[in-house]
Amino acid sequence: MNPELSQDLSLFHLILNASVPVQLVMLLLLGASLLSWWFIFIKLFALKRALRVTDSFEREFWGGGDINVMYKRVAAERAEAGEMERIFAAGFSEFIKLRQQAGLSLNVIIDGTRRAMRATYQRELDGLEAHLSFLATVGSVSPYVGLFGTVWGIMIAFMGLSSVAQATLAQVAPGIAEALIATAMGLFAAIPAVVGYNRFTHDIDRLANRMESFMEEFSNILQRQVTSKAD
Amino acid sequence: MNVQADAPLVSRPVPKLAAGALALGVHLLFVLLLVFGVSWQTQHPAPVMVDVWESLPAPPPPVAEKTPRPPPRPVKREPAPAPVVKEPAPPKAPDIALEKKKAEAERLKKQQAIQQAEEKARAEAARAAREKQVAEQKKRELLRQLEDEEAIQRMADEEAANRTRLAKQAEARAAASKRQAEVASVVGQYRDLISATVRGNTRLPDNLVGNPEVRCLVKLLPTGEVQNVRVTKPSGNAAYDEAVVRAIEKSSPLPLPTDRDARAAFVPELSFVHRPK
Repeated sequence: MNPELSQDLSLFHLILNASVPVQLVMLLLLGASLLSWWFIFIKLFALKRALRVTDSFEREFWGGGDINVMYKRVAAERAEAGEMERIFAAGFSEFIKLRQQAGLSLNVIIDGTRRAMRATYQRELDGLEAHLSFLATVGSVSPYVGLFGTVWGIMIAFMGLSSVAQATLAQVAPGIAEALIATAMGLFAAIPAVVGYNRFTHDIDRLANRMESFMEEFSNILQRQVTSKAD
Repeated sequence: MNVQADAPLVSRPVPKLAAGALALGVHLLFVLLLVFGVSWQTQHPAPVMVDVWESLPAPPPPVAEKTPRPPPRPVKREPAPAPVVKEPAPPKAPDIALEKKKAEAERLKKQQAIQQAEEKARAEAARAAREKQVAEQKKRELLRQLEDEEAIQRMADEEAANRTRLAKQAEARAAASKRQAEVASVVGQYRDLISATVRGNTRLPDNLVGNPEVRCLVKLLPTGEVQNVRVTKPSGNAAYDEAVVRAIEKSSPLPLPTDRDARAAFVPELSFVHRPK
């Protein structure tokens, strides 16, 4: 059998026979894909947990629990607390501190409390959104990286074709096949990253909305408490 | 003063290891799917080789007869019956005188004795002759038997030689046909390759209808360079014939197999059949 006539197009054969730039591109894409899947799973777990904890906290808060008792519990288990619990704790501790200082007007107390809560909210949101930009980058860039590898591979395949007098499709087919693997890998890395990014930003947006509403409602509650005590 | 609430965030433990393992699992799954789900192998159908026999191949060498021909049974020749000589009874002596009788008796006795002796001798001789005859016959038979055995041996030897010769011939034939098949497969591959090349270089004329066949005789140099193309069986469309000839010239040098036997099908002359599709 003639080796040039029978084409061995097994996947690993193609990858191992690819030119060095194409192989580098494939390696890069593999790394990007692995990392993005890792982050996807991390985010998936983290967001699930955040939603669960937030749900249970809201139920407890609106279920008429004693705010002081809740604050003590949250302060005791800070590391384990959810995002909304921490906002609540930050706001309430600031509120207590401001209340203890005499001669502060209601507006100052409430503004201070809100600022404290907003700072914690920003920090929590930052934590939730960590790595999302990586997913976005992989999702938007890896198809181009894969395309680059493909273009490079096809270029090399055609350059090889120019050196032979007898140009047949069989001489370029393996080169093009191995080059196209780079595009396939780019898409393989990009698609889950884009899907994950969209889903996680949506989830985080909803969580952020809930936290903001909670902040407003909690400051209202505190304000009511101050005015009712002042009366 | 409560500073705890303002302390930097303690990051919550996230199952990073589990996430990493899951990510690896997803990739492994995908690779497995690719490797086993997609058939990456392209298989060229091997050219089928058909042997046309002008005469039927020789039947397999006959199985040697296990039982050699039984040696001819020695003919048991009945020994010839010994000639029985019946002595005629002595003539009755006429009633004569006693002396005469006596003499006669004596004479008779003597005669009888002589006769007996003679008879005895004759019988002896006959027996000896008979014995000699039997012995000779036995000897002849033995000789014949020996000859028979030798002949049988010779025949068996010949048969064995014949068998080995036939087996060798069959082997040679099988090897030749295998080689022929190999050569045919290479020739077929290169024929396809040449056809594909020529087809790629052919500019079909606009007025081409159907899938006409052009038969060309291409003179090739050993390097594959096209020396001369002659249309042996035109398609009927002159423009198309011309296009095919041009395409063959343009395809020069044609790819040729390295195998010497396979090259023989291409160099120095290649009969080339071309169809546009």
